[in-house]
Amino acid sequence: MKLILKYLRRHIGIFLISTMFLTMEALADLLQPTFMSYIVDEGVANADVHHILFYGAIMLGIAAAGAISAVMRNLFASRTSQTIGREMRRDMYHNVQRLSLENIDRLQPASIITRITNDVTQIQEFINSMMRMMVKAPITCVGAIVLIIIQTPKQAPTMAVVLVIVSIFIFCNMKIGYPKFGIMQKKLDRLNGVTREFLSSVRVVKAFRAEDEETEKFDAASRNLAMANKEALRVMAVFTPLINLTVNYGIVILLWISKNQDSGQIGRLMASVNYMTQVLFAVTMIANVINTAVRAMASSERIQEVLDEVPAQTVPQTPLRTEIKGDIVFDHVSFTYAGAGQESLKDVCFHIPAGKTLGIIGPTGSGKTTLINLVPRFYDASKGQILIDGCDVTQIDEKLLRTAIAVVPQKALLFSGKVSDNLRWGRPDASDEEIAEAAGIACADSFIRKTEKGYDTWLGQGGVNLSGGQKQRISLARALVRKPRILILDDCTSALDAQTESAVLDGLQHMGGNATVLLISQRISTVMRADYILCLDNGIVQGFGSHKDLMAGCRIYQEIYDSQIGGGANGR
Amino acid sequence: MIHRLGVEQMADKNMTPPANLSGITRPGRGIVVVKPKDFKGTLHRLWRLTKGHRRGLGWILLLSAFASGASILSPYITGNVVTAVKEGDAITLILLMLAALYVSEWLIKFLQQFLMAAIGQRIIHHIRRTLFDKIKTLPLAFFDRHQHGELMSRLTNDVDNISTTISNSLTLLLTYGFTIIGILVMMLCLSPLLTLVSLVGVVCILVLTKVVTKHTKKLFAEQQKNLGILNGQIEEDISGLSIIKAFCREEEMEREFEEKNDKLCRVSIHALIWSGYLMPLMNVINNLCYVAIAVFSGVLFVNGNISDIGLITSFLLYVRQFTRPFVEVANIYNNFQTAVAGAERVFEILDEESEPADKEKTFSLENPHGDIVMDHVQFGYTPDKLVLKDISLTIPAGTKVAIVGPTGSGKTTIINLLTRFYDVSGGSITLDGHDLRDYRMQDLREVFGVVLQDTALFNSTVKENIAYGREGVTMEKIIDAARIAGADGFIERLPKGYDTELSQGGAELSQGERQLLTIARAVLTNAPIMILDEATSSVDTVTEQKIRRAMLKICEGRTSFIIAHRLSTIRDSDIIILIENGVIAEKGTHEELMALNGKYALMYRTQSSQTVERA
Repeated sequence: MKLILKYLRRHIGIFLISTMFLTMEALADLLQPTFMSYIVDEGVANADVHHILFYGAIMLGIAAAGAISAVMRNLFASRTSQTIGREMRRDMYHNVQRLSLENIDRLQPASIITRITNDVTQIQEFINSMMRMMVKAPITCVGAIVLIIIQTPKQAPTMAVVLVIVSIFIFCNMKIGYPKFGIMQKKLDRLNGVTREFLSSVRVVKAFRAEDEETEKFDAASRNLAMANKEALRVMAVFTPLINLTVNYGIVILLWISKNQDSGQIGRLMASVNYMTQVLFAVTMIANVINTAVRAMASSERIQEVLDEVPAQTVPQTPLRTEIKGDIVFDHVSFTYAGAGQESLKDVCFHIPAGKTLGIIGPTGSGKTTLINLVPRFYDASKGQILIDGCDVTQIDEKLLRTAIAVVPQKALLFSGKVSDNLRWGRPDASDEEIAEAAGIACADSFIRKTEKGYDTWLGQGGVNLSGGQKQRISLARALVRKPRILILDDCTSALDAQTESAVLDGLQHMGGNATVLLISQRISTVMRADYILCLDNGIVQGFGSHKDLMAGCRIYQEIYDSQIGGGANGR
Repeated sequence: MIHRLGVEQMADKNMTPPANLSGITRPGRGIVVVKPKDFKGTLHRLWRLTKGHRRGLGWILLLSAFASGASILSPYITGNVVTAVKEGDAITLILLMLAALYVSEWLIKFLQQFLMAAIGQRIIHHIRRTLFDKIKTLPLAFFDRHQHGELMSRLTNDVDNISTTISNSLTLLLTYGFTIIGILVMMLCLSPLLTLVSLVGVVCILVLTKVVTKHTKKLFAEQQKNLGILNGQIEEDISGLSIIKAFCREEEMEREFEEKNDKLCRVSIHALIWSGYLMPLMNVINNLCYVAIAVFSGVLFVNGNISDIGLITSFLLYVRQFTRPFVEVANIYNNFQTAVAGAERVFEILDEESEPADKEKTFSLENPHGDIVMDHVQFGYTPDKLVLKDISLTIPAGTKVAIVGPTGSGKTTIINLLTRFYDVSGGSITLDGHDLRDYRMQDLREVFGVVLQDTALFNSTVKENIAYGREGVTMEKIIDAARIAGADGFIERLPKGYDTELSQGGAELSQGERQLLTIARAVLTNAPIMILDEATSSVDTVTEQKIRRAMLKICEGRTSFIIAHRLSTIRDSDIIILIENGVIAEKGTHEELMALNGKYALMYRTQSSQTVERA
């Protein structure tokens, strides 16, 4: 709620103007029955056509004023709600861009996406309806009651009783109903979860003949949702008609009290009945507004969480802006993922001079990717420090650091846009020749040119129209366009067949020249090309040195070697 | 119920309470009406589909007819009360009638909603279940063609919409239909002249609605499109944030986002403002009508054409609720159409062809050997492009087969054909002498233990994931399978071992660990034919070596198919098949193929060439 108020405050002027028009609109509605009663009491009762026409004209004028107010109010309300929606989206997006990956892991990407999209829409709807109704309902409600009491004071107690009873019903409806809607939401999530799981694993389901098992899961989830829905709907079925009944009985009592009404004031009685029906609608509106308010509140909490998230990494006070050469030192580095019990890296030490190549090898889950993620500061070391050219990475200007480094991740992430746009991510001012050159080294040039539009080919979201190997090659070319000082290759050739991979690696060796290269691979033949090899297991450095050193002194390295090459038909 | 604020009622419908329970979605705003292709036919099918599940629907329809009674009668009675008050007559009796009317209205509304909650949900569950039962029998080709999100929205949104909207619209349409007729009759009885005045008002409102919605429909479609574009970018950017950071693209992305965000905001404001004209304008017409009748009836009364003051009261009340049903009926009808169109989308799925049914005469597969013969097999995912052109192979039981070849050459396709995820377009595949299609699908898939490229894990415990698709497996067997697959090591290191919940579908494990679990799953099936489709591609070579040894153990006496990029892992297969461009290019043992000195030998050397030079 605080969040919504904060954003509303920025548009307080427009909001107040809109509220003013809303009030005028409500007043216009409220005045109609009163003038109608004048027509009856003064015009009709006295058979005075002149009066009837006179009041009729006034009513028309009021109706016109009301309509103009409504149009103006809508104008301002739409603008405010949409602008606030835009600002919320922008602020969230802006903050998310500044978060470090540790924050993103914690909030989970899927959840962040729904917060920026659905939750903001929810709030937008709420603000829009609030500016339409929330002010109007109380004004109408109070106004109608006041007018009834002014015109016929003896109705006051009836009005009070009706109001109290209606409030109690609304309160009960909330108290009993909302927990049920909460449950419903959870069951819906569950059903969606089960469905998504089935759809994304359909091959496995079929291969393992688990159709019945999945059906049972789905059936249970669907049945539970139906039950929860039924419960929630039944609460509404009990209270909504009760609220109507109360107000309608208000009308009956009102008529009964007026049974001795002076016949000269029959118009007032008619007006009172009309006002009662206005009260009825205002009351249902209030119930609805409370409904949306509760949902908006939940959304605003989720949005607030994103806005409140503080980047886990600190920015140095006086960042160093020296040119990066590429000398890398890991000095007793340990790292633990947030929420994980054990360390993923333990006391890692090594030194790579600028321009050299480091091959990293080790079993699955040994911490290879974790290690290289520390260099461009995707994460910060929990203990120890990483030095580039002798400076602690946390002290170097972040932008400068990341511009000097190019990463080719395991999973090639491409963005929708032209192939050339994706490649220019590396360096926006790269010329067409430079791009083609980089693509050539990555063995991507030939297949890109084979497509109808070449470098102008449009890639769908996530590069859906490319094969895994093609995506990896474009992702590699993107990194090469950057001409980085430090090139990080995270097992990025896994989807390539052996020949292409070999060609890519040869190309890299020739162009790499003076860049420091960190290269993760499962293939021993690949890491053997490197100047230094680091063998990791369980987050601990098992061996560091040249191929010969490791063959002599590192058991795990030998095992890997034997598994891939040793004992082969054409081995040693 | 007396509706004072005829048109305003629409406004409070605009903010439909939680989760669209009322089923009536904001009339006139945001909703793009989709016209069904075959309105009558679809309704007819729906009627048949829900057969046996709509007990009580008749009662609800009956109740909705009664529900209109209150709206028709109460203004008349109220009018009588007013007359009685004016004349100084006793009103207790009439008031009692009014009170009784309200109570019955309350009872009807309550019963209607209460019953509807159960019936509506029962029907939703039934449709959803029917749809799922269908979906699970559909061939893989269907899932390859459709996006998950699309299917999800059919199973949840569309089904919900069908049931709630259709049933709600139906009851409302009935209620309003009766109300319109009832009120019209009452009004005509009271005063034909005044009725004419209010009918003019109704026509004006209908014309106005038509004109405005025609314009807003386009605007809302535009808004929807822009929203889609913006959401697309958000999704892409958040899931690719690490790359954005690595390439320092934060500012550019933010600028792009800003552009799309602003565009959406502009378009939305435009659409909202336009649709916002509708309500006040209708209010004006409504008020004009009201004033006209107030003035007109006043004049008539003065001139002595009307003698009854209560008549004016009744009439004014009638006018207020006369216009509303007309506007609502138009909206409800639109919603109704959209829901029927949704039903059509559901029926589209129900009309999809299921996996071919088992033949009437099938062979039993009690003790399968694993002899496989492929005879001039042809296959293409689309008829115009064959992936496999002519594959002929004889694989005696117990053979270890390795399939290699460049990406996209059709390796996985062979596996898809063996497990009958797809059926051959030409030629045939036989198992133990009979065509695959002559076995029961269930039995056939029982014969294969598969580890697929995608490591699909489920939101349940590690234990349940390994025993997936099998009931009553002992813990020992699960642990055994894990040990054979080499997965026991990391499982035991998990916080709760085999009982650890994989709450994110395995996202908390590394790719390699996930793969090990799926291998354990295949081991547990103890199937006579094993299929490993790139099963070890994301496991390190030491682990892979372990798995290979384990696989050798369990493959003994079994037929097995291994697809691999890394040739070192398949060296000791009984037969290696090199597939290129949909045909078998080379075939033989490792030694034979090396001696042949063809493509295989070239591939093998490239993969280990540097090794040879340096070692």
